Amino acid sequence: MNKDVKINVHHITRVEGHGNILLDVKKGDIKKIQWQVPEAPRFFEAMLRGRHYDELRPITSRICGICSIGHSLASLKATEDALDIEISEQTNMLRHLAINGENMQSHILHIGYLVAPDLFGVGSVFPLAVSNKDALLEIVKLHRLSNEMSELICGRTTHPIRLEVGGFTMLPTKKQLERLRDRLNENLERTKKVAEIIKKVSNKLPDFKRETEYIGLTNKDEYAFYDGDIASTDTGVLDDYKKYRSYMDEYFVPQSTAKYAKHNRKSYMVGALARFNLNSKQLEPNAKEVADMFGLKPICFNPFMNNIAQLVEFVHNIEDSVKWIDKILDIGLKDEKLKKITPKKGQGVGVIEVPRGILVHDYTIDSKGNCVKANCIIPTNQNHANIQHDMEEFAPKLIDKPEKEIELSLEMLVRAYDPCISCSTHYLDVEFV
Amino acid sequence: MMENKIVTFSENEMLNFVDRLLNEKKFDVFGVKSKGEKFVFDLLEDSDELRLDHDVTILPPKKFFLPQYENLMDYDLEKPFNVKDKIIDKKRIIIGIHPYDIIAIEQMDKVYLDDQKDDFYNIRRKNTILIASDIQNVSDRSFSSSMNTNIVDSGFDILLTKINDKYAVTIGSDKGKKIVEKYAKTDNATENEIKEIKKARDETSKKYKKEVKNNDWSQLLVANYDNSIWEERSDRCLECSSCTMVCPTCYCYDIKDEVSLDLKDGRRVRTWDGCLIRDFTKVAGGEVFRDDIKERYRHRFFRKGNYLYNRYGFIACVGCGRCATACLPDIADPCDLINELSVFGGKGKDDKFFIKKESKIGETGTIHVPRSATIKRIEKLTSNETLFELELDDKKPLNHEPGQFVEVSVFGFGEAPFGISSPPSDKPIFEIVVRKVGDVTSQLFKMKKGDKIGIRGPLGNGFDMKKFEKKNLLMASGGTGMIPMRSVIKHVLSDENRPKFKNITILYGCKQPCEVLFADEIDEWKKVPNVNCIMTVDQCADGECWAGEVGLITALFPKIKLDRYDSKDTESIIIGPPVMYKYVIKCLQTLGISDENIWVSLERRMKCGVGKCGHCQINGIYCCKEGPVFNYNKIKDLPEAFE
Amino acid sequence: MSKPRVAFFDFASCEGCQLQIANLEEEVLDLISIVDVVSFREVMKEHSEEYDIAIIEGSIMRPMDEERIRKIRSKSKILVAFGACACIGGVNKIRNQWSVDEVKKEVYKNADLKDNKYFDVFKTKAVNEVVPVDYYIYGCPPNRDEIKKVITALAMGKKPDIPNYPVCVECKKNENVCLFELGKFCLGPITRAGCNSICPSNGSPCEGCRGMLKEPQTKCVEDVLKRYNLTYEEMKRRCTMYNYGKEGCK
Repeated sequence: MNKDVKINVHHITRVEGHGNILLDVKKGDIKKIQWQVPEAPRFFEAMLRGRHYDELRPITSRICGICSIGHSLASLKATEDALDIEISEQTNMLRHLAINGENMQSHILHIGYLVAPDLFGVGSVFPLAVSNKDALLEIVKLHRLSNEMSELICGRTTHPIRLEVGGFTMLPTKKQLERLRDRLNENLERTKKVAEIIKKVSNKLPDFKRETEYIGLTNKDEYAFYDGDIASTDTGVLDDYKKYRSYMDEYFVPQSTAKYAKHNRKSYMVGALARFNLNSKQLEPNAKEVADMFGLKPICFNPFMNNIAQLVEFVHNIEDSVKWIDKILDIGLKDEKLKKITPKKGQGVGVIEVPRGILVHDYTIDSKGNCVKANCIIPTNQNHANIQHDMEEFAPKLIDKPEKEIELSLEMLVRAYDPCISCSTHYLDVEFV
Repeated sequence: MMENKIVTFSENEMLNFVDRLLNEKKFDVFGVKSKGEKFVFDLLEDSDELRLDHDVTILPPKKFFLPQYENLMDYDLEKPFNVKDKIIDKKRIIIGIHPYDIIAIEQMDKVYLDDQKDDFYNIRRKNTILIASDIQNVSDRSFSSSMNTNIVDSGFDILLTKINDKYAVTIGSDKGKKIVEKYAKTDNATENEIKEIKKARDETSKKYKKEVKNNDWSQLLVANYDNSIWEERSDRCLECSSCTMVCPTCYCYDIKDEVSLDLKDGRRVRTWDGCLIRDFTKVAGGEVFRDDIKERYRHRFFRKGNYLYNRYGFIACVGCGRCATACLPDIADPCDLINELSVFGGKGKDDKFFIKKESKIGETGTIHVPRSATIKRIEKLTSNETLFELELDDKKPLNHEPGQFVEVSVFGFGEAPFGISSPPSDKPIFEIVVRKVGDVTSQLFKMKKGDKIGIRGPLGNGFDMKKFEKKNLLMASGGTGMIPMRSVIKHVLSDENRPKFKNITILYGCKQPCEVLFADEIDEWKKVPNVNCIMTVDQCADGECWAGEVGLITALFPKIKLDRYDSKDTESIIIGPPVMYKYVIKCLQTLGISDENIWVSLERRMKCGVGKCGHCQINGIYCCKEGPVFNYNKIKDLPEAFE
Repeated sequence: MSKPRVAFFDFASCEGCQLQIANLEEEVLDLISIVDVVSFREVMKEHSEEYDIAIIEGSIMRPMDEERIRKIRSKSKILVAFGACACIGGVNKIRNQWSVDEVKKEVYKNADLKDNKYFDVFKTKAVNEVVPVDYYIYGCPPNRDEIKKVITALAMGKKPDIPNYPVCVECKKNENVCLFELGKFCLGPITRAGCNSICPSNGSPCEGCRGMLKEPQTKCVEDVLKRYNLTYEEMKRRCTMYNYGKEGCK
């Protein structure tokens, strides 16, 4: 009851990027509980300064290795919005496949490699190669499938190549899409198997709730990833995506090189759980089945269930992708010559859901086609404040436990958010002079 | 010569013919297809993909016979010596090959199906049916008409010529005849239709935008070896070697060892290489033999117009224009270059940079695949050099001449050439000396008695010891030059052979005493009658034990008693670092020994060892085939020999 | 020979390079059979301070980073720079065009960053600008086949074989239509090969992420630019994406 606990997790493992957890308890009283972000700022906004519009996509792709397709698509949407470029239906459909592929890759990597070790009580995925080899291979096969999909559509899964302003530099062939569709269908069974494997150990996920606001995209026609309106579980849909700042208010705190964000409450959450809470009705049937398997229902306030929401989305992405491929093959692939682009002055905003949550790119372009102002709101950025507040409410429930367990539980809380810390280290509003 | 039979079919029937071929599962059918605005040879799925109206393909058909990347053999890293060659191939038909590419294939045949036949190339060639097509459209940069490569009457199995709304089908071989009979419905060609063939070809000839003004490339190039044009043009060279990659008559390759991620096995692969790349001539020690881009740029044109002309009798350029299109700074076009040189004019001697020499075939079994040998003894000679005694596992003698070399394989690490250090013997045992410089040699140093390695050889041109009988011998070795020289010396000094030779002089120079090789054996050599053996080191540290001379090897020459020497009756051998030759040769000449009695052994990057991969070229000769032993008189005018 | 102990470290990067290890899929199991991965923060909780080979992703930006990399260098027998940010600075070097103060002001405006060690940045450095590097795995991200090649070479104790010739060699072998002929500007002729010309093979010009072989201001490049109606300015701006700081890329 009255013990002293000191926890300092320096550079937490099994998350993307560098974060520290500090807990200082004196005689049962929490003196300090802090989520710190010491990640090196890379000054991405400075990198975009003065660059030609056709360079914005490859540069912003390098913000993150795991959601590079997401950043690329948000960047392209913002650029196309600024230059008034309309994309064809074919490009739209292929981009849906691209974002699906990335979502699948990121989620299964997170669940299988970063979270599962905690549920199985080991330090990393490597011991599972011996103790649970078959289970691990099932997960790896799904990861391979996701990468194959991204590579087919984008040319490469990390830092895509085929995506460009207005369309694609190269298209998949009919045969390749047919083969992909077969592969996706074949693997639906496997996703159920993996869900069973996770179900067996899901009791390790703490049962913790804190009423939270969730923000994400919503679209009346589909479970939104590529396109939609910004929505909040508290306040509903935002009418104008260009006014995103009214929902995403960023501010600076000294313990973090990444900013914090708030809207209706002191913080909010984005990501798979947010999307689930907003749009679960639009999930494909097999995905709904998996949600039911884990008792996941909207509105769920347990951040640990973000991991399960990711699994549900993975299944949904497979079913959804098959539908898109069917549509593309029905219409038939066409070699589309990209229209000549005349640079003009403009401001554009691209909003998209990447695996970790809602992402915004906002560019202002001058008459020569160069970027003069850039702003990016990163999903994890928006989560840092929520992680801090979750920790503040979760930690008191843990202090009676052994120190190692407290440390593990706090780490699991951070991991549940699937943070992408190196993406999140920049800030708001840059005006290039 | 038998006249080719000519038949015809309609355009529609031509497509049906192709479709019937496509239905056959037993062969793959490749044809010219469009790729964007360009054309490529690729698997056909439907006859309407075929584009016989193409002007030129991005890559020539050489990719079918010498693939960009080819697995030669698999090896097991867990078992001592388990190698399997990968000569497997499926039958194929290629449709749409232009005449200049047919000629290029014939040129490649001369190279790859020579006395050291390439088995991988051979099976692909045997399994392929060539369906050529007369040129309908000409690319901007093609000059094949002025190279007389735009029309062929042989080299193909079938030749298709578009005449109005029909196709004339010229049968070029029995294979072609069988295909046409089985898969096509044809009529005999009428007199008029045969005339139409010539007419179609004449029409196409008018479409050429480029013309080379001089067909006598060989003498023109030789006369202009030192022309400033090479430097001016190569100044703009990106060293990207695109020209060699797309060229139908460029065929240099590299061989590398690849290993699986679990380290259990691997494969030895062959991949295209290009002489414009700086590292093309780089050896393990780091030396690059053709460092200046000017030399590399010039080398390519000489190879095409002079070196291969001397070796095989053809100009290795068919005027397809691919290199001209591929070269971004536009300096690769042979047509432009020859036309520019023609302004300078001049006629040099054709074979100035070439030596004609009968080659000995040392390779047995599948080309490139080594046979196994066991390490019998390892003896550390100096801190850097170690002797390995090897026994061939098939128990057959190596049958080598002194001066020849072997290619030693350490699977997973690679293959490297080593001069044979032991004299010829009827036992399956021989010796090499290894100096630790790179991956293969470092790994050899870690090996133990009983370990197995791979051997190919004996390779190269060695010393013809019969020529030296009844003569005095003067042998000068510098540093590691003693390694191959020992093979000669021990042969000459053996009880059986000593009487065949007159007076023997052995000169041996090293940098320092600790680098001297075989000191004990040399002591024994001194005891043999009429053997004068003098050793020197460049420098000797104070207190170091050294009984011989101190100073450069050239300083030893005055010590040779001239009255013991009849220079006209003396043969001399020099083996040592490149810098040594110039000075020692002067000494020999001062002694009155004529150039034709001086023999040298040169070193280059020897990879295949059989005169194909191109890495060891010294101007027009292959160090691995015409060398490494050369008669100085024959090689002294080769600019690249003693740089 | 015992398995070498390998540790992965990341600095200022997007972690895309380390992701390529996970992207080896089933082959990761082969990888861990030939080397002992003793530290890999992104996927492992365990960490060891004893390792033979250190693989570094990311650029060096702050004194605290410099201290950390020096410590790693002193403990490792072999140090490998992994990815463009570590090998040549990559996109992280774009901001070197301006002074650190200018960049901080633009990015963080009036926020008080003095005394905050997390923000104490200097001009971006590639790893070899701080400590000696033994081997390089180039690319943004590196090619998985090349990663396997380097790791097998290190596990066998031999030198990795990285190409020293331009992307054009691989592009031609792949029979790609040259992007210059399509009116695009490709840095392939002056960029190091080893990626199997992946970008041109997908219709996108090479951006030079594997580092330059040739300084881009030689006469040959000027001739190429003239022939294809491209400007020197345009070439320069493309070079500054991954290769800022090299001659001609300022």
